[in-house]
Amino acid sequence: MKAIMFQGTSSDAGKSTMTALLCRHLSERGVKVAPFKAINVTLNAFVTKHGGEIGISQAFQAWAAGIEPEVEMNPIIIKPEGGGRLQYIINGRAQAMSHIKGSEEWKALGLELIQQCKVKLAERYEVVVCEGSGSPVEVNLPNHGLANMDTARIFKAPVILVADIDKGGSFASIFGTYVLYERNERRMLKGFILNRFRGDASVLSKGIEEIENRTSAKCIGVMPFVDVSLPAEDGLSMMDGRHKGSKHLDIRDSWMASLNEIYRVALRSLDFQQITSVLDERL
Amino acid sequence: MRDRQGGTADGAEWRLRAGAKYRPIMVMGTTSGAGKSFLVTALCRILSDEGLKVAPYKAQNMSLNSCATEQGEEIARIQELQARAARTRAEGAMNPILLKPKGDAISQVIVMGRPYRDMDVKEYYGHFVNTEGREILRRSFHKLAAENDIVVIEGAGSPAEINIADGDIANMGAAEIADAACILTVNSEWGGMFAYLVGTIMLLEQQQRARFKGIIINNFRGDPDCLRSGIERVERELGIPVLGVVPHMDLELPNEDSMFIDSKVKEGDGIRIGVVRLPRISNITDFDALTLEESVSVVLVSDPDQLDLIDAIILPGTKNTIVDLNWLEAKGFAGRIRQLAGKVPILGICGGYQMLGQEIVDKKGIEGGSGQKVKGLGLLPVVTTFDAYEKCTAQVEARLASNGARVRGYEIHMGRSEVLQGEPLFLVRDEKGEHPGGAISSDGMVMGTYLHGLFDLPAFRKRFLASMPEKHGHEESASIDTGDRVEASIQKSADIVRANIDMEAVFRILEGGRI
Repeated sequence: MKAIMFQGTSSDAGKSTMTALLCRHLSERGVKVAPFKAINVTLNAFVTKHGGEIGISQAFQAWAAGIEPEVEMNPIIIKPEGGGRLQYIINGRAQAMSHIKGSEEWKALGLELIQQCKVKLAERYEVVVCEGSGSPVEVNLPNHGLANMDTARIFKAPVILVADIDKGGSFASIFGTYVLYERNERRMLKGFILNRFRGDASVLSKGIEEIENRTSAKCIGVMPFVDVSLPAEDGLSMMDGRHKGSKHLDIRDSWMASLNEIYRVALRSLDFQQITSVLDERL
Repeated sequence: MRDRQGGTADGAEWRLRAGAKYRPIMVMGTTSGAGKSFLVTALCRILSDEGLKVAPYKAQNMSLNSCATEQGEEIARIQELQARAARTRAEGAMNPILLKPKGDAISQVIVMGRPYRDMDVKEYYGHFVNTEGREILRRSFHKLAAENDIVVIEGAGSPAEINIADGDIANMGAAEIADAACILTVNSEWGGMFAYLVGTIMLLEQQQRARFKGIIINNFRGDPDCLRSGIERVERELGIPVLGVVPHMDLELPNEDSMFIDSKVKEGDGIRIGVVRLPRISNITDFDALTLEESVSVVLVSDPDQLDLIDAIILPGTKNTIVDLNWLEAKGFAGRIRQLAGKVPILGICGGYQMLGQEIVDKKGIEGGSGQKVKGLGLLPVVTTFDAYEKCTAQVEARLASNGARVRGYEIHMGRSEVLQGEPLFLVRDEKGEHPGGAISSDGMVMGTYLHGLFDLPAFRKRFLASMPEKHGHEESASIDTGDRVEASIQKSADIVRANIDMEAVFRILEGGRI
C-alpha cells in the first residue's frame, strides 16, 4: 500500500479539499483509494453504516473515492463539550479516557490506533491519502505531532504542504514550516500547493522558485479561488446558502457537484503527474 | 504605574517626553488580518496618553473603505480612525498612496488624498512604485516626522512576499525611508503562527531582519501560558523577543475590508436590513451603525431570492457603478427590486443611488466601457452624468429635509446627479448656504443620497427604520452616536495592549533612536 499526506501551513488551508480531490482523481483511474485523518477536533461528526462516528470531511472524502465511510478512516474525534470538557470518540465510539494518565500514555495510545488503522486499510486499499490537522509545527499543541508527522511516518507518506495564499504570507508559511520541522522530517516534504489564488499566477514565479530552492520541495501548482461550499469541520461555513437554486434535492449530490467543479479547475492548475510521482517516492 | 504628572510611583523619571523626537515604530504582519491596524490604533492612543504628539502613517493602502478629511482629502478609513486615536487631525499625508481596486487588476490611485490616475498592476509595480512612489513616501513621511514627536507606521499584507520584493514600498521600502524599528505581528486564530513568524523573518535580507525588535501575537483565545514552548522556540530561532500575547476581544471598530456583518439571512424577529453584495461593494462601514439599534440586523444579500426575506433593501456604494449595474440586471436583482418598490423601503447610497435613477450617462468612459448611456432602475427621478475625471470628496453637514434633524457624512464619488423633480432628502450646508441633496420618491419608499456615514447619527437611522411597514413599531431608542462607541473601542484597545504587552520594552525601542 502506498500513501501520501497533505499537511497545511495553517488551519483551513485546503488540506481537506486536496485530499478529496486526490481521492476522486485516483478512484476515477481505477485505483482502490481511501482517505485517512488521525484526529479531528470537531462537532461535525457523521455516522457510518456500522454506527461509528467519523469526521464529516472524511465521509465526504470517502464518497469522493467511491467508497463507504469507515471508522478506520478517522480513529480519533475530540468533541469540545463546553466548559473545557472534551468527549473522545475512539474508533467510532465514545469512550471515557480516565484510564489514560498523562501525555505519554495518550501518545502511545494514539500511535497504536494509527498503526491499527494502517493495517486495516492496507487489507483493502492500494493507496491511502492522509490529511493532517492544523499546522504540523504548532509546537505548543499536544496533538500536533500525532495528527501530522507521526501519521506520515507510520504510513511512510511523503508530504505535500498546502498554503492559503489569499491572506498573504504563503511563501513565509511554507518556509517557516520547513524550518520548524525536525531535521529528519524535512526530507519527507516533497511538494507544496498555493491555494485560493486570485489573479495572474505568473506574478508568483520568483517566489515559487526561491521556495523550491530553499526547501527542495516542488511546487505542484497554484489553485485559484473557487467559490463553492464543501462540508468542513467548521460547520458555520456551510450555512451561507450557496446551494440555493441547486437542482439537487440531496445535499450530498450538491456537494459532489461542487467537488466536480473544483476538480475541473484542479486539473488545469495542479500537476497530477507530479503528485503521482510523489506518491511513488520511497522515503 | 506611570504617573502622568511626570514621575512613576517609585520616583523614577518619566521616560517619554513631549517635544522630543522618537524613532518611528512600524507594525508589520505575517498576513493580511494579522492585527496591524488594531495595534497601530492602540499604540497611537497609548503614546498620545503619554503626552506625545503622534501621527499614524500607512504608506500604501488598498481599500474601498475610504473617507474624506476636513480638507476634503481621501484616505483609508482606518488611518482616519488612527488619527482619532492619536487625538490629531487626519490628513492626506497619513495615507499618501491609496489604491481603490476597480476590478480587472486595475486600481484608481489616490496620491496624498487626491485622485491621480488609474493604473494596472504592471504599470503600478513596474514603473510607478520605484520612481514617483518612493518620492511620495519620502515627502509625506518627512512632513509627518517634522510635525510630530513620533510616527506610528502600519505595514501592508506581509513584508515577505518575495515575488514582489523590489516593489514592496508598503513594507520594507517604507521602513527604510523612515528608518523605523519594526514589530512583527500574527493572528493566532488561524493556526500555524510559529511557522508564519519564523518564515517571514527568515525570508528577509539580513539588514531588513535587523530592523525587527519585537513580535506580538494577536487575537489569542485560551491561556497564553500554553504558548510558552512555542514562544521559546521562536525566540531561539529568530533572536527576537515576543513582547506579549493579546487576547481575542470584540471591538466595535470599522473594519478595513472584511465583511463584518452577518452573511446569513435568518427568519425570526427583529428588522433585517439587506445590503446587496455588489461585486465592487465599497464603504461597507456605512452599515456598522445600523446595528446599534435594538433588534436590527444587517445582512449581505448575494441572491435575489433572499430579498423576499428582508425588511429593507440597501444598494451600497460601489467602485464601478455601470459594471455593477449590469451585474444587477444579469443576476436578476434589478427585476426583483423593481417589483419590490413601494412594498419595502429601498435606499441607494452613492453608486447605489446612481443605479436607482433613470439613466447614467458616461460619454468619456470614466466608469469603464466607451461612451455609454445606461438605463438605471428607474425608481428615482435622477440622471447621473460622468463627464470629467474629477472626484468629489468632502465632509458634509446636513439636516433631514423633513424635520431638520442633524445628519453627518461624507461624499466620495465621481459623477454628478441631477434630481429632476420631487422633494430632497437632505438640506446640505456649505459656504454658500444650504442646498438640496439626495432624492426621495413620491411615496417615500425609495431614497437615494451620496452621503456615506449617514447612519452614524441617530436622526437618519430613525427616519429609515420608520419607513418600514407596520410590523416593526419601532421604539425610540436612545440617541447613540457611533463616535462615542468608536472612542470607547479605541480606549479599550489601548487598555488591552497596555495590559498584555511589555510596554517598557516598546518604550525602550522608541527611545533607541531618540534624536
